[in-house]
Amino acid sequence: MARVYNWQIGREMSYWYPESRPEKQFAAVFDVNKCIACQTCTLACKTTWTSGRGQEYMLWNNVETKPYGFYPLAWDLNLLNSLQGQEWQGNVYQGQTVFEAAPEGERVLGWRPEEEDYSYPNVGEDDCVGQIENGASLEVPHMMWFYYLARICNHCTYPACLASCPRGSIYKRPEDGIVLVDQSRCRGYQECVKGCPYKKVFFNPMTGTSEKCIACFPKIEQGIQPQCFVNCIGKIRLAGWLSKPDQANPENPLDYLVHIKKIALPLFPQFGLEPNIYYIPPVHVPTHFLKQMFGPGVDEAVKQYRNMAQDLDLAGLLALFGSTEFIVPRWKRQGDLVIGMSEKGSELIKVPLREPVYIRSAYDSKFSIARVNCP
Amino acid sequence: MLRAKFILILIVTLILSSNLLILSCRSGEGPVTAEVVIIPSANVPLEPNAPLWKGIPRHLAKLIPQDLVEPRLTKSSTAEVEVKALSNGTLVAFRLEWLDPVKNDLPGPARFIDGCAIQIPSKIAANVPDPQMGQEGQSVEITFWRADWQAIVNGRKDSIKELYPNATIDHYPYEAKPLEKDPALQSEMAKRYSPARALGNGREGPRDSAVEELIAEGPGSLSPSPNPTGAKGKGLYNSKGWSVVILRNLPKDLSPNNRSQVAFAIWEGAHGEVGARKMRSGWVPLLMKAEGELSKNVQ
Repeated sequence: MARVYNWQIGREMSYWYPESRPEKQFAAVFDVNKCIACQTCTLACKTTWTSGRGQEYMLWNNVETKPYGFYPLAWDLNLLNSLQGQEWQGNVYQGQTVFEAAPEGERVLGWRPEEEDYSYPNVGEDDCVGQIENGASLEVPHMMWFYYLARICNHCTYPACLASCPRGSIYKRPEDGIVLVDQSRCRGYQECVKGCPYKKVFFNPMTGTSEKCIACFPKIEQGIQPQCFVNCIGKIRLAGWLSKPDQANPENPLDYLVHIKKIALPLFPQFGLEPNIYYIPPVHVPTHFLKQMFGPGVDEAVKQYRNMAQDLDLAGLLALFGSTEFIVPRWKRQGDLVIGMSEKGSELIKVPLREPVYIRSAYDSKFSIARVNCP
Repeated sequence: MLRAKFILILIVTLILSSNLLILSCRSGEGPVTAEVVIIPSANVPLEPNAPLWKGIPRHLAKLIPQDLVEPRLTKSSTAEVEVKALSNGTLVAFRLEWLDPVKNDLPGPARFIDGCAIQIPSKIAANVPDPQMGQEGQSVEITFWRADWQAIVNGRKDSIKELYPNATIDHYPYEAKPLEKDPALQSEMAKRYSPARALGNGREGPRDSAVEELIAEGPGSLSPSPNPTGAKGKGLYNSKGWSVVILRNLPKDLSPNNRSQVAFAIWEGAHGEVGARKMRSGWVPLLMKAEGELSKNVQ
C-alpha cells in the first residue's frame, strides 16, 4: 500500500496505488434542499445508458429517501456497521478508512449485496423519522424529518472499485478524473461491486462484466453536463471541475462552493475515497445525523445556507444551477446578474439573481376570461 | 500359538486386499500416479463419460487456496481434483473430476460459477515459471472451462428469463415496433447497451465453446491467447460433482523424452470463488507415455 493525502479527512492514508491526480477532476454539487425525488434524473440515465439486457436492475443514478431509503438495501448501514468507530478530531478523521480496515486477504473492507438487496429500489420512500407523540410543532430542525439523497458514482480520487480489481480493469481518466470499467478487459469477478462502498458498480449477467456510471463522458468531452444534470427538474445539480484545496479558485463555481464557502460536503468522507460529488446538506435535518453522512463540516454548511439571503454571491451562484446544459468553469456576479463563463472568459449564460415577478390581473380582458393559477 | 495368530491375520489381510483390488477393477479406476501421465490413444474423447477413460492412470492433484495475491481465498473448499490424460499425438484431452455438492451455472449479482482450468508453461525449460499464473517473460497457457458457458453450448437461450424465469421486462428500446422487421438494425442497436459484447469481450452471450484459451505472465495479466487453437471442453454434472474434459493442442515439444509441468485450478461458485479466489495446485510433472509403453489398464 502507498501513502496518499486525502484532504477530506485531513490526513495521509493508505491506498493501493500511489497518489496520481488527474489534470482536471470531474466533480459536482447537489443541493439536497431542492430535490423533490421526482426521479427524472433516474429515468434520464436509465433510458440513455441502461436499457439493455442484464441492465434491468441497474440504477447508475438513483434518488433515495434518507434515512430509510437505500439502493441496494442498507448499502450505507452495512459498511458503517463493519467500519466501527468513526471519530473526528476537528477536521481530522481518527478512525480507519475502508483501505486501512481491509481484512486479511482483501484489498478493501467491503461487502457484497445479495440479489434480494436490489429488489426494492424505492424502499423507504417518504418514510420519516419519529412519530407524533404528545403533540408536535414545526421547528427547525424538524422533529420529524426525511430528505432525498440523489446518488451517482462519485468518481472518487481514490476509488475503492479501482483498488479492488485484481486485473486493473478499472481506470481513472487522467484528463478528467472520470472512473471507468474497461469493458474489453473486465472478467466479471465482481470485486469492484464488493469494494465500492457506495454500491455504484453493477454486475451485468448478460455481458458477464461489471458496469457503472460513466459521467456521460461523451457529453463531458463536448463541454456539456451529464444527462441526470440537464434533466433535473429541481435544478439541484451543477457539474464542473474541482481543484485541490490549496489551488482553489473563487472564479471556479465548484471551488467556490466546496473550498471557499465550504457549503458543499462529500458523502461519507470517512470511507476514505475522496468522493467528488458534493452535497449541500438539508437544513431541516438534525445535524447529528448529517455529520455521520457528510462529515464535520455540516454545522458551517447549514449556517452558510441559512445566511444566503444576505450572501448575494452564494445566492447568485446557486441560481446558475440548471440554467444551462454547458459546463460552467468560471462565473461572476455583476449586481443582480450572475454570469457563467467558459474557461477563456466568454459568456455561456446570464441569469438574474432573482427571477422578476410579474403580477397579472385575475381577469383577462383581452380574452374575456378569468385566469386561474392551476395548470 | 503366536505363529498361528500371525498366519491368520496375514490370511485375513490378503483376503481383504484382494477384495479391494477387485472392487477397484470393477469400478474401472486406473492406478494412481504421482505425475499426470498422458496415455497414447488413437481417440481423444471430449465426452467425460466415454468408456475410453476407464482404467486410465489418474493423478489426484491436491488443491490449496490461492493465498499469494489479494484478493485471496481464505477458506478451503475443493480438496483435490482427479486428472486423467489421453493424447493422439496432436491433441491432448485432460479429464478433471472433482466433488461439488452444488451446481452453479447461473451468472448474476453475487452469483458465482463453477469452473476449472489447466495451466501449462508456454515453453519447456529448466526454469519453470511461477505456478500461480506464470511470471514476466515466462508465460503460461491456460485453458479455462466454465459451467455457464457449458450451459450456453448445451442450448441455454440468450435471455434474462433463462437466468430469472419470473422476470418481467417492460421494453427494450431495440425491440420497438419500427425495428421489428430489421434484425440487423436491432442487433446493432442492442450493442449500444452491451459495451462488453460490442468490444468482443465474450464473458457471456452466444458461444460455441465452453472453454477459453488464455495466456498469463503473472497474477492480473490474464489475457486471451493471441494464437487460439480451437480448444474444446465439455462438462457433466451429477449429484456428486463435475466431470470435465478439456481438449487442447499437445504442448509444444512435449514428448516421451521431454516432460513438462501442469497445474490445475477449481472454482466452486457456491463458495463465492471467482478470479483469484480459487483452489489451485502447484506444478505437477506432466509426462507422455511412448506408444510401446501403453499401460495394461488401457482398454
